[in-house]
Amino acid sequence: MRLLASLALALLPLLAQQSPPPANPEKDSDKKEAEDGFPVTSDLVKKSCGPCHPADEKGRLSRISFRRTTPEGWQQTIKRMVSLVGVKLDPEEARQTVRYLANHHGLAPEEAKPGMFEVERRMIDYKYPADNDTEQTCIKCHSFGRVLLQRRTRTEWELLLAMHRGYYPLIDFQAFRRTGPPQTEPGPDGRPPDNRHPMDKAIAHLSSAFPLRTAEWSSWSANVRPPKLEGRWMLSGHQTGKGPVYGEVEIHRNPSARDGDEFVTSIRYLYARTGQNVRRTGKAILYTGFQWRGRSMEAGAGQTAMREVMFLERNQREMSGRWFSGAYDETGIDVRLERAGKDAMILGLDRNALQTGARDREVSIYGANLPLKPQPSDVDFGPGVTLKRITQASENRITVLADVAADAKIGPRDLVIAGALKANAAVVFDKVDAIKVRPPSGMARNGGNRFPKMYQQFEAVGYSNGPDGKPDTKDDLELGMLDVAWSVEEYTATFGDDDKEFAGSLDAEGLFTPAGDGPNPSRSGNRNNVGDLWIVATYTTAGSNSKPLRARAHLLVTVPLYIRFEQPEVSQ
Amino acid sequence: MKHLRRVNRKAARIERHLDEQRDVVALQRGGPPQGAPPRPHIPLGCSLLFSPGWEADSSGGAAGLCQPVERDLFDCHLGCFWPAQVPDQLNHSPDWTSKCAAAQKDWRKIDLIFP
Repeated sequence: MRLLASLALALLPLLAQQSPPPANPEKDSDKKEAEDGFPVTSDLVKKSCGPCHPADEKGRLSRISFRRTTPEGWQQTIKRMVSLVGVKLDPEEARQTVRYLANHHGLAPEEAKPGMFEVERRMIDYKYPADNDTEQTCIKCHSFGRVLLQRRTRTEWELLLAMHRGYYPLIDFQAFRRTGPPQTEPGPDGRPPDNRHPMDKAIAHLSSAFPLRTAEWSSWSANVRPPKLEGRWMLSGHQTGKGPVYGEVEIHRNPSARDGDEFVTSIRYLYARTGQNVRRTGKAILYTGFQWRGRSMEAGAGQTAMREVMFLERNQREMSGRWFSGAYDETGIDVRLERAGKDAMILGLDRNALQTGARDREVSIYGANLPLKPQPSDVDFGPGVTLKRITQASENRITVLADVAADAKIGPRDLVIAGALKANAAVVFDKVDAIKVRPPSGMARNGGNRFPKMYQQFEAVGYSNGPDGKPDTKDDLELGMLDVAWSVEEYTATFGDDDKEFAGSLDAEGLFTPAGDGPNPSRSGNRNNVGDLWIVATYTTAGSNSKPLRARAHLLVTVPLYIRFEQPEVSQ
Repeated sequence: MKHLRRVNRKAARIERHLDEQRDVVALQRGGPPQGAPPRPHIPLGCSLLFSPGWEADSSGGAAGLCQPVERDLFDCHLGCFWPAQVPDQLNHSPDWTSKCAAAQKDWRKIDLIFP
């Protein structure tokens, strides 16, 4: 061994002579940009980033001027500069830097929309249709949402992939480079095989699909301004397992802020199924003229804090998105805000499904500027639904008693009150033909001992087969949330499967609480409390002898995450 | 099954299992008498890279995961094998496991990392 080592030492100068290193090895950061970037005009950004990212004659900082992304994207980069490169920034400077970059090197609304699920922290199925190779290269470690929200020059995309390879050398083998020998046979289409590495295919695709300069950004960046959001906005939403949410949000400019893009909010809403009232106050920043990032909480109760991520429509009259909380952002309300004017507006009903033959069915209608003394004839549910009496009326809520004719045609109904119309506000049905559990598959993570728990909430939704009487056709009617009995069944993956005993518990409201993290000595092999379960909903029609309806969803109870790349700071 | 008879204990277990009419979903690849079951649904947020993945195995379940996860943490950390799930030793958290001689025993001493 020693002999080999000394031989190698002796050969070193020889080897060096044979392949001398280039006189000026080109560093990645020296790569010349072929495309035109955006100059940085902020003194703070120049001061904070300039020492490593020198400005050129046009005021463009290296790398920074050649990329655009969301506030979360910039926040993540700044955090990396602080943690891995040693940049010194105080929190206020970091906030201002993120804000400048998100506003001036950000995304246009059309560019941000397809990736909203990423910043809204939704668990959805996403398939990137444009290029399978690129998708597979990226999603092996993280969501494709991160990619959708980036715009870069070709050189920048190359450098981004190089950064991944530098920080995580193993990804060459995991995703970036082709494994196995190159193909020699032509493909089924007769063309020569594409033997490029996946990362090279990805760079080619990303530079053309997500370039730095786009028509959308030129037009938005020329037009953007701090919007005037002050006023009263009506809130409607849905929280899985809790049902519809109605209320309002008062938005004011933040008096202590320098710019017109910071707001304070006063929020009140109620859960229509239970009548539970909630009051919150919050703060928010509007980035790039349309990206709402806020945080609100109930009076003095930090543990009730929710992050708000919303997308402001160009008409400046509507916003929609998600408010969420939880260690993994798993608990959330899908929200929609609409600016309240002087006219009546209908937000929705407490329970939208009206069964044929129902008598004295109580319906609560939520809205804004509703008539204070309505007559039954003012509230129009359409054919087959007769209003008998109005039991309560206020500006935000009207409660009525209605009869539904036994022979009423089944199908959706528009609701009209005092000139306001809500399309498909109610649905007339004859019977519940099927139920489904939402989400169809869920995920929870063990926690509570050292790492936090990730909960999973389920809800059951009823369906009618619709006028054609056949299931799974286009005319099926969704009947909203139903009260069901919840149970857990074993999802048999192996013989002698015992997940049900260990993975956690499901409560009467469909909320699954996973068991603790860490190895479990009472489980064979010291396994964690992970498992696969069926979450089963059983619906029994009151007073009927018919067979109960059943539906189930798959729940994966799995291990924690030990590193978290989220960027909650952008809402503060 | 008329002409086949079980000869070992594993076959007996399978027979008992099927007699109970339980549906076996995961780690199955279809075929009679069940027909091909639909592919399990893997939630977004699962890393799908490796077999097994971090959150789910190749069939979308937890049965094929490395267990307990703590037994595997050192390797994941040192080799930067799960860059989005476990802190990497190379850059983000060189000392992540320094208070923890054996993760399986000392797992309570490791921290959640916000890079």
